[in-house]
Amino acid sequence: MPKINIVIDGHSLQAEEGTYILQAAKEVGIEIPTLCYYPHMVPYAACRICAVEARNERGWTKVVTACNYPVWEGLHVHTNTPRVLNARRMNLELLLSQSKPVPVLQKLADDLGITEPRWGYGTDTCIKCGLCVRICDEVVGAHALAFGNRGVDREITTPFHLESEDCILCGACARYCPTGHIKMTDIEGRILHSELLLGPNAAITIPFRQAVPNVPRIHTNQCIHMKTGGCMLCAKVCPKECIHFDDQDEFEEFDVGAVIVATGFQDFDPTPMLQFGYGKYPNVISAIEFEQMNSAGSPTGGKIVMENGKEPRSIAILHCIGSRDQNYHKYCSRVCCMYALKFAHLVTEKTSAEIYQLYIDMRSFGKGYEEFYQRILDEGVHVIRGKGAEVVPTKHKRADEGDLLVRCEDTLISKFREIPVDMVILCTALEARKDASDIARKLNISMGADGWFIEAHPKLAPVSTTTDGVFLAGVCQGAKDIPDTVAQAGAAAAQAMKLMSKGEIMMDAAYAVIREEFCSGCKICNDLCPYTAISYDELKKISTVNSALCKACGTCVAACPSGAIVARHFTDEQIYAQIEGILA
Amino acid sequence: MSISKLTSPDDLLRLKEQLVKERDNGRTILSVCGGTGCLACGCKGVVSALKAALKESRLEEEVELKITGCPGFCERGPLVVVYPEGIFYQKVKPADAKLIVDQTIKGGHVVNKLIYKDPLTKQGIIHEKDIPFYRKQMRLLLGMNNFLDPTSIHDFIVLGGYRSMAKALSAMTAEAIVEEIKKSGLRGRGGGGFLTGKKWASCRKSKGDPKYVICNADEGDPGAFMDRALLEGNPHLVIEGMVIGAYAIGCEEGFVYVRNEYPLAVKNLMIAIDQARDYGLLGKNILGTGFDFDLQVSRGGGAFVCGESTALMASLEGKIGEPRAKYIHTVDAGLWEKPSTLNNVETWANVPLIIDKGANWYSQIGTAGSKGTKIFALTGKVNNTGLVEVPMGITLREILYDIGGGVPGKKAFKAVQTGGPSGGTLIVETSEPDIHESLVAHGDVREDEEALNLLDLPVDFDELTKAGSMMGSGGMIVMDQDSCMVDVARYFINFLQEESCGKCIPCREGLRTMLQILNRICEGKGEMKDIDTLEEMSQVMIDTSLCQLGGSAPNPVLSTLRYFRQEYLAHIVDKRCPAGTCKELVSHTIDETCTGCHVCLEPCPTDAITGKLKELHVIDQSKCIQCGACYQVCRFDSIQRVKRGAGEAVQVKAKALWKPPQKKTAQQTAAVA
Repeated sequence: MPKINIVIDGHSLQAEEGTYILQAAKEVGIEIPTLCYYPHMVPYAACRICAVEARNERGWTKVVTACNYPVWEGLHVHTNTPRVLNARRMNLELLLSQSKPVPVLQKLADDLGITEPRWGYGTDTCIKCGLCVRICDEVVGAHALAFGNRGVDREITTPFHLESEDCILCGACARYCPTGHIKMTDIEGRILHSELLLGPNAAITIPFRQAVPNVPRIHTNQCIHMKTGGCMLCAKVCPKECIHFDDQDEFEEFDVGAVIVATGFQDFDPTPMLQFGYGKYPNVISAIEFEQMNSAGSPTGGKIVMENGKEPRSIAILHCIGSRDQNYHKYCSRVCCMYALKFAHLVTEKTSAEIYQLYIDMRSFGKGYEEFYQRILDEGVHVIRGKGAEVVPTKHKRADEGDLLVRCEDTLISKFREIPVDMVILCTALEARKDASDIARKLNISMGADGWFIEAHPKLAPVSTTTDGVFLAGVCQGAKDIPDTVAQAGAAAAQAMKLMSKGEIMMDAAYAVIREEFCSGCKICNDLCPYTAISYDELKKISTVNSALCKACGTCVAACPSGAIVARHFTDEQIYAQIEGILA
Repeated sequence: MSISKLTSPDDLLRLKEQLVKERDNGRTILSVCGGTGCLACGCKGVVSALKAALKESRLEEEVELKITGCPGFCERGPLVVVYPEGIFYQKVKPADAKLIVDQTIKGGHVVNKLIYKDPLTKQGIIHEKDIPFYRKQMRLLLGMNNFLDPTSIHDFIVLGGYRSMAKALSAMTAEAIVEEIKKSGLRGRGGGGFLTGKKWASCRKSKGDPKYVICNADEGDPGAFMDRALLEGNPHLVIEGMVIGAYAIGCEEGFVYVRNEYPLAVKNLMIAIDQARDYGLLGKNILGTGFDFDLQVSRGGGAFVCGESTALMASLEGKIGEPRAKYIHTVDAGLWEKPSTLNNVETWANVPLIIDKGANWYSQIGTAGSKGTKIFALTGKVNNTGLVEVPMGITLREILYDIGGGVPGKKAFKAVQTGGPSGGTLIVETSEPDIHESLVAHGDVREDEEALNLLDLPVDFDELTKAGSMMGSGGMIVMDQDSCMVDVARYFINFLQEESCGKCIPCREGLRTMLQILNRICEGKGEMKDIDTLEEMSQVMIDTSLCQLGGSAPNPVLSTLRYFRQEYLAHIVDKRCPAGTCKELVSHTIDETCTGCHVCLEPCPTDAITGKLKELHVIDQSKCIQCGACYQVCRFDSIQRVKRGAGEAVQVKAKALWKPPQKKTAQQTAAVA
């Protein structure tokens, strides 16, 4: 791009051909006020607030709008001559005669020294800057908004003043409206807790603060570009050009020497436990949902509120939902007691709500855990020994105490209790992932009845599996908290490192081999091998043994109808010889 | 007659010669104006009556009845001219048809009651060419309208139509045409007055492809209708101009953007385009020269702002008709961001003339800076309203008195407004001391000059701009002493604020606020600081408006402030409307000259006037709404417009002085008659 020499307020600078005064001025730090300008759209030049005076050497002078006046060689720009300031002031006063002094206009007025507009203030909040129309048109591509009428009756409207079918509810118009004239109304009238992770309609978010990798993700079902083919603003603003809309999922193959399985767990879905009313009563939420709401990045800004936006007066935290339950999971999820206590602590910090903990046994087994439990007790949390039995709507007479009624048996005082609360948090079980069995099959590792992977030995090989080179880390092996997970992961990593640092593995001398000349290719051995060490060679039409995988168990040797497989160092001749040796 | 495509310039020549030969039979031609003005006056009835009369006299074969476009003299419609003699009949009614056929065609006599009488000399004028309205004009474009039926391409070809196009396409290079237009000094007739040749040259040089030519027929100025008259009366001329322009610029596609309120223009244009296509004068390989060009008609919704070039292009593209900044010119990025040349109907119509007769001939007409002729729509308080085509540089005096025939009644000329709603109002002549003073203060008149006399102002682009108005598209509204200049400014500002697209703040909110201030002044609630505010606001609007609608919108206010500041002051300080039209500031009252004729009683909408026949009438001030209906009808100038509140006093005085009317004097009889 050829460079062009221009002068702005006495600053000489070089600008690229085709740039507008506004951009050139910005580069030398000269701010020109704007109202209807937005960098990623064609300049509209309707507000005329960015008026500047253009001059040339020969004394020609003209007031132009900085946002769309292209620079040319020898252009002199003056951004604050009396003529320009007067024009800005007059135009803003004219605008204010119709508009409320919304913050953006008030700030401009203050900057321009307007204390009392000559024609007073109007009542409108729409300043007809057209940002919404243009964003919908040029960026979003939904074309759901337009200008209606003409002249003084100009207005922003949807076609025929009706709810537009072309609107994709992206919220861009409201986001870019400088005066707050356009607002998004939640049609359902409530915030859905399950969507709290997202901004109301943001299509591009970082899934959560601590996400790894910590990069934004595009939600294809909300992305404007995916809907209309327009927008692509994120790609335009990304300085590193990281956003590619046409990227597809890819499968990649790696050669590796060791595998660490850290597939984690899934949250137990309490919906089937009808007694707790999850999914039925909006203020019955799961622990993870509470955690999300409590995060500072949530739509509630970390405030603890009910679905109607009010702060709850009382909260019941129900332990062991799906854990230690004969009908669901018999095991203890190990983490719930402590996070439930943490919740109680957070709620007392943020609100003045009464808190009820309903537990079976308080399992505060770790280092410092018991002390934390004591602290919670000191904070005045009601800790009731007795599992929550059911959650029902509060009956008429106690309705003012809370909308929900938690029923339980307080086993310490042997009494049946009904506690009215505003919100119920269910401490749901950790459970094995639904697809854990796929992993188990792929890696040839064993899985218990509860779905957790089984280690090679509970005491002596807690991170190894029955398959060499495959190690376990974290909750996929069984419910555990973060310290335990980190410790186990460290151990698994060390095991893997051990293999890798050697660069080679020592193999057992004993393994099975197939004598090619005898193999008929019947494939019986293929399915029998518990270590998936035998595969069929389509070319030679025979089976072959992967000696690295073979554990020399001998199953195939015994099963081969042709006697083609022999276990090295355990051949028939050797066995017979041994027998003969013993007998001799 | 079967149509064969003309495949060479010689074909066209042969067709013309053949047609001339066919028609050279000395037949009488009855030419009836079929323009919109005469249609409104009932020319359709006249045509059918003439047809019936001819049929009755068995003259259908001998006499050709031609329905033509508008020759411009709309004040006197429906018009009928008998050729070859050129006998001019005006205000013809269907009942007169038989008279014309019997007396003029059969008998060779003139029907005296239908001929035109000069309002100044009261003399009857028989022949069209002797009528002063026409005589002073130079009707290069409109002159053809009398002789051709706009729906007949043959009529146009007989008159030499498409000759220039054939010449341009076969014998001239594109560069030569651009040079010729440049040399002619033709300036855009749409309002801007930009040099057409220069525009074409830059569009020709521009790199984009394809390029477009556009004809702006979105004539929106109230009262202006020259583009309509041209499109209705001679559409082929515009088409011919556009083909030449397209060839010179190098484009193959053109658009005519015409407002849908011009149904006849749209119809005639469509017919003309179809005919031109049939004859191979539009479309592929025009006249066998290998040049392709076709035209499309796009009908506009009638928004004033769509006459602005960028708004027009946006509308053509199917978007909202609102302008964009022209920092990048339309010759580089216009319609669909492609190089586009937009010219007004009248500009296009001038092109064939220049090519035909040469730039030298054309540049002899007019003044140094403005060449050729300009059509004005002369309206307002003038005897002969209509379209007048005059050479540039003609004086206002010639237009107003010689062509316009002066002001009706005994009223005095006050001002001329030119250039459409955003033009300016010019004082014509004054020696009144207070106005004179303000003009001296403004530098418009030297102190030693006795009076300002703009009557001898040569009318061209530069002189009008210098005087504080503009050429615009050629509206010319004449005002007499009864026009209040504040009210005039208010009228135009109101028009503009309704027609502003509303995109930019200075135009939308500036006009709104300006109108509020003017309304206040007209209601007698103005303050002195309002004048300063108006001037300041005008400057900001001129500086910062996005397009020329807003940029020129303050003209009505600025020009009236320049020439008629005293009237503003009268409204603000004295709370008085000198012209007596601002309702809130005047009282209508009856003085002692009232004859008690009862004429004013009927039009009064509120029955405020009472009085017995031949007795002094009285206006009940509590009922009067100051509509001025009585003022319009009074034949004795007995209705007085006085300052608000002074009405009662006048009537008290009138009662004391009133004498019953004596026998009618000769003067009164004449007045009644």
